[in-house]
Amino acid sequence: MTNVAVVGNRTAWRERLGAGTLAPRRVPDVRRALQLALGAVWLLDGVLQYQGAFYVKGFSDMLGGTAAGNPGWIASPITWDANLVQHNLALLNTVFATIQLLLGLGITFRPTVKAALAASVAWSLGVWWFGEGLGGVLSGGASPLNGAPGAVIIYALIAVLLWPADRAPSSPFAAGRAVGPPVARVLWAVLWLSLAYFALTPANRAPQGVNGMIAGMNSGQPGWLAALMRGAASLTAGQGLAASVVLAVALVAIAVGVYLPAPVAKATLVLAIVVSAVIWVFAQAFGGILAGGATDPNSGPLLALLALCYWPLRAASAAPRQADANLATEGTVA
Amino acid sequence: MPPAWLTDVFAVLMLAVAAVSAARLVAARPWQQGAVIPDTDIAHLLMGIAMAGMLASSLTTLPNAGWEVIFALLTVWFAYRVARDARASGVRALAGGHCAPHLAHSAAMLYMFLALTTSGGSGMSGMGGSAGMAMPTLAYPTLAFIFALILIGYAAWDLDQLPGFRHSLATEAALPGQLAVAVAAVGAGQAPVDRVVPASAGPRAAGFMLSGEITVGCRIVMGVTMALMLFLMI
Repeated sequence: MTNVAVVGNRTAWRERLGAGTLAPRRVPDVRRALQLALGAVWLLDGVLQYQGAFYVKGFSDMLGGTAAGNPGWIASPITWDANLVQHNLALLNTVFATIQLLLGLGITFRPTVKAALAASVAWSLGVWWFGEGLGGVLSGGASPLNGAPGAVIIYALIAVLLWPADRAPSSPFAAGRAVGPPVARVLWAVLWLSLAYFALTPANRAPQGVNGMIAGMNSGQPGWLAALMRGAASLTAGQGLAASVVLAVALVAIAVGVYLPAPVAKATLVLAIVVSAVIWVFAQAFGGILAGGATDPNSGPLLALLALCYWPLRAASAAPRQADANLATEGTVA
Repeated sequence: MPPAWLTDVFAVLMLAVAAVSAARLVAARPWQQGAVIPDTDIAHLLMGIAMAGMLASSLTTLPNAGWEVIFALLTVWFAYRVARDARASGVRALAGGHCAPHLAHSAAMLYMFLALTTSGGSGMSGMGGSAGMAMPTLAYPTLAFIFALILIGYAAWDLDQLPGFRHSLATEAALPGQLAVAVAAVGAGQAPVDRVVPASAGPRAAGFMLSGEITVGCRIVMGVTMALMLFLMI
């Protein structure tokens, strides 16, 4: 730190710290680092929700639009919710944004991590239904490229996997510590196999299916991103079936990867991160954030974060550390 | 464009941060021989005033050019500090150091003023309002996105460093009649947040005001609000 030192009548700059005395910060363990990443994404969501685009009628229209194609018992509450939001737009959107901001703050603040993670699961399930129409899973509009099975449900999944409990403290990956490695592996496989299934649905394997989805996100993007997306769109023009099959094969490989030996598992996790990044950039355009009016960064970064939760740990870091034990204790305060 | 009352709330929040920073500067008693004034508080004070003016046009103080000079100087200053830290501690200075977040804040402020595209000549028109009003926007929105991600990342990192309620209470209980004065050490890199340095003199209120948690709290509020402003102007 550099300070202004007032000495007598003259002011001088002086340094209170010598070189090499940088104070050590508390270094989080792997699971805590992943929790921080999740909290940061919630903070990002909260901040995005305050944008002007959500204080106009288009927001309630967007919510109501997710009811289309869903069964009546799913669609009716969505329509009711959209009407409610339309009539109390400024108030409710501010509440939504503030809740997400508080979730982010709560997860990143150690004493409130448990309460915030639990609340985030409940909130995610609510948004998945009322805000995303169950991610289009039942309406036939789901695709890995557009964020299926709903970005927000991945938040809930990660929150469960990163719950600060140690049912399996010697789990070979962070995601297995709270629920146990077998359950964690099943959850992973179900998610990625469902993505593979969605990639092969008739709408997505249609000749212009992938191309149309990429082209649909191109509007309003900065020049460099629009150019990248145009390239991706032209590459997949008329190649919907081939692109879908390639994607589905990659997704199946990722799904089974966690059951394979560590070196192979690592390779499939790298593949998962690469696929997530490609989808995020070329198909989701960073969630549309750069075009303005995005509520979240979409599923790309969440899938990558999920993959990191399954990254094989070294033996030394697999065991719970004292810092995490403290975290569990502090979490009970809230 | 978000409603004016919302941006006004954030403007008031920024003024509160500026007021707290000013109070910390006063509590540091700069008129006394050997007193120290943390540069982080100076930065927070200036940023709070500038951001309040950006959020609510009625709170505009200096012309944009003035703020550009100020934040250019702050950016250079904190870049120098980070470079010094990096020479001593390597890349840890970026993740574990306390000057790096201030560098990101200063650089983000400089970017906002330089990249602003608004019809207003001498200042901003404010970010809140009703439909039909011109919203200031930023050139190079990709840069705004990157800055916002960095600011949110540092806010999350800072929050993780704050001690728990139980720890704070325990610290207070362990220091009867004494002050828990961190003397701005946390925010400026002298001590971790949860290692409060006991001091033997000074009023309790001043001790609280000078505690590291206050610095870090101000930095978190400022970082999140700055990210919000960047997204509002994308």
